[in-house]
Amino acid sequence: MILLALAAAIPGIFWDAPPDTAPALKEAGIRRILVPAGQAAGWKQVEGIAAEVADPAKAVKLRTPAVNYRFEQASASRVPWIDCNGWRFLRQPDSRYFYDATGALAAMAAAEALAWGADAMIKTDPAGLKPLAEMLTFGEGLERAGMQPLADFGFIDDGSSIAGEVMNLLVRHSLLFRVVRRPDPNLKLTVQPGSKNYPLEQAKNPGAMAQMVRADLTDGRRSLRIYGSAVVVGRLETAAGRLRVHLINYDGAARKVSGLRVRVSGEFPKHRLALAGLPDAELMDYEVLTGATEFTLPELRTYAVVDLQK
Amino acid sequence: MPAGCCKLKRVDRRTFVTLAAAAPLAASPIDVPAYRVVTPYAKSQNPGMPGPYPGRAVRVHAEKSIDPGTGKVDLGTVRQMLSAGMRALTGDARDEDAWARFLTPKDVVGIKVNCSGAPRIRSSPEVVGAIVERVLAVGVPAENIWIYERFQNQLVTVPYRDFVPQAVHIHAAEADRGSVLGYDPKVYVEANFFGEEDTRSNLMRIVSQTLTKIINVPNMKEHQASGVTGCLKNIAYGDFSNVARSHRNEKTNTYSFIGTLASVEPVRSKVVLGVMDGLAGVWHAGPFSNNARFRFYPKELMIGTDPVAMDHQLIEIIEAKRKAEGAISIFNQSREILGDNRDPNKNAYIREAGHVEYASKLGLGVYDAAKIQVKRIEL
Repeated sequence: MILLALAAAIPGIFWDAPPDTAPALKEAGIRRILVPAGQAAGWKQVEGIAAEVADPAKAVKLRTPAVNYRFEQASASRVPWIDCNGWRFLRQPDSRYFYDATGALAAMAAAEALAWGADAMIKTDPAGLKPLAEMLTFGEGLERAGMQPLADFGFIDDGSSIAGEVMNLLVRHSLLFRVVRRPDPNLKLTVQPGSKNYPLEQAKNPGAMAQMVRADLTDGRRSLRIYGSAVVVGRLETAAGRLRVHLINYDGAARKVSGLRVRVSGEFPKHRLALAGLPDAELMDYEVLTGATEFTLPELRTYAVVDLQK
Repeated sequence: MPAGCCKLKRVDRRTFVTLAAAAPLAASPIDVPAYRVVTPYAKSQNPGMPGPYPGRAVRVHAEKSIDPGTGKVDLGTVRQMLSAGMRALTGDARDEDAWARFLTPKDVVGIKVNCSGAPRIRSSPEVVGAIVERVLAVGVPAENIWIYERFQNQLVTVPYRDFVPQAVHIHAAEADRGSVLGYDPKVYVEANFFGEEDTRSNLMRIVSQTLTKIINVPNMKEHQASGVTGCLKNIAYGDFSNVARSHRNEKTNTYSFIGTLASVEPVRSKVVLGVMDGLAGVWHAGPFSNNARFRFYPKELMIGTDPVAMDHQLIEIIEAKRKAEGAISIFNQSREILGDNRDPNKNAYIREAGHVEYASKLGLGVYDAAKIQVKRIEL
């Protein structure tokens, strides 16, 4: 029930500026905000904007979703570093989260929270209002009934920082898991750092551990594959006969991804694309194969949701 | 997905670190990764490679073809070289007959240029212009001729437009670097070299969907990763996406990846002719040409249908030049050579010049020097 409730969550805009900034909010199309308790009385007087009290101090502070093009420390990999909060949402699904994101990054934060169904508030600056409002409008337009996260394997999380970093690397590689207390026979694999198969010593290198999990799962059994970008992270939700693909371009504040090929397990002849910033876009090269479906997104600015149906 | 293909090895931490940092033992040049080739195109009974002239290469040298001081190419001489080479390859007395062996007026003809060393070393616009003249003479309309390369930012540095009719297309797969849209999602080679997430290399769309014939126009260059870059590499790494992933640290996987890509249908069937532009070349630190010291001027065109035989000739040309310059062989795979390649005895990678011989084992041509017929022409 908690997951279902979270799936319906739309991030809120945390705005701590005084009520005389209301015209900027209205111009951006914002009609609902979260404010600090000290500002609440003033905002109650403003017509056309509903204000609700929120306290960021009680929320889990998140990194701003983005890409850092540094080389990884452990190897000469060309893979950029992605600041992704997906693992935090999986570890603490019932928490409330707080982003402080300026400019176009505010929309990135909203996209991430929407994709993960996270209960989040986003503080931004005047430059971030319009892109944030547009992303929230996009999120409100998504039908969100009854979808459950799809996982290929279970992860037994001991709450340690090492386990957290392994979860982070798994999420960044779009390796789909859910946190479990014990092995779930319905899943393809169970990963427990510190177990015989996944010794703690190896978990100290989270990238290597993620590759071990990938090798054990095998690419052939992965429910989601993404080709054409190292900065896109995906996740899946499912309901009877339906599959929803969330795709986030973590570099979306700086540059779009020009074309992205996606493969999911299962045969889905029907499809519908919702692409933030490109309402008329269509999927390309759609193929229903034996046991799988593939398609190409013409571009991905920040966030796309692809609904597939049998 | 078939078992055994693209399978990641479960690595322990020690092995991972080895792979990630520097792994000459784990990454020996003779390793052949598991490849999965996906294509809806059937094998041709008469593939363009090695084509009707296996084991044959025609080398045409003309001293006045290029002025090394200015880089100026003599178009008239290039036309003569092309004509002499084509007639020698086919045995025909007339250019029209020679070209008609490869093309018909109904063909849509691609000219695969090489611009990775541009703007200094590239498939010369004069050579490409002379080829386009002959393709037009066969009766192929200008709008059915495509000069193509992978990267727009490299292609635009070469003035091909000045040497061909306006209707000839000049096309790059990646106007946006890294875009997959110029590639065919149904034709790809899948392999997992180093645990990279994107394990596919897709064929350019125009190759699979538009062109009916391809003329391959590489340069004469040493290559830091593959030893040489000639016919095979130009049509392999030059036609497929996401190939740089095969290189990490000193390991490049070019030994097997080049031939594997070049033999994918419909590439193998459509590439009907090679015209290697050796007016100018690179004998070290290729495929780029940032250091004038490593440029040289063979002043020749090499023509044939067998990319392996032609690339074997290229190996000999590069080796001879390197020997003359006192540089080590491209077949030297010692770790001692790793280092700053401003020194011609150092290199960033362990070169995998064996890729040419490997390609012969895939049926792409003749590698055995004793079986290669070379015809030399001096103009």
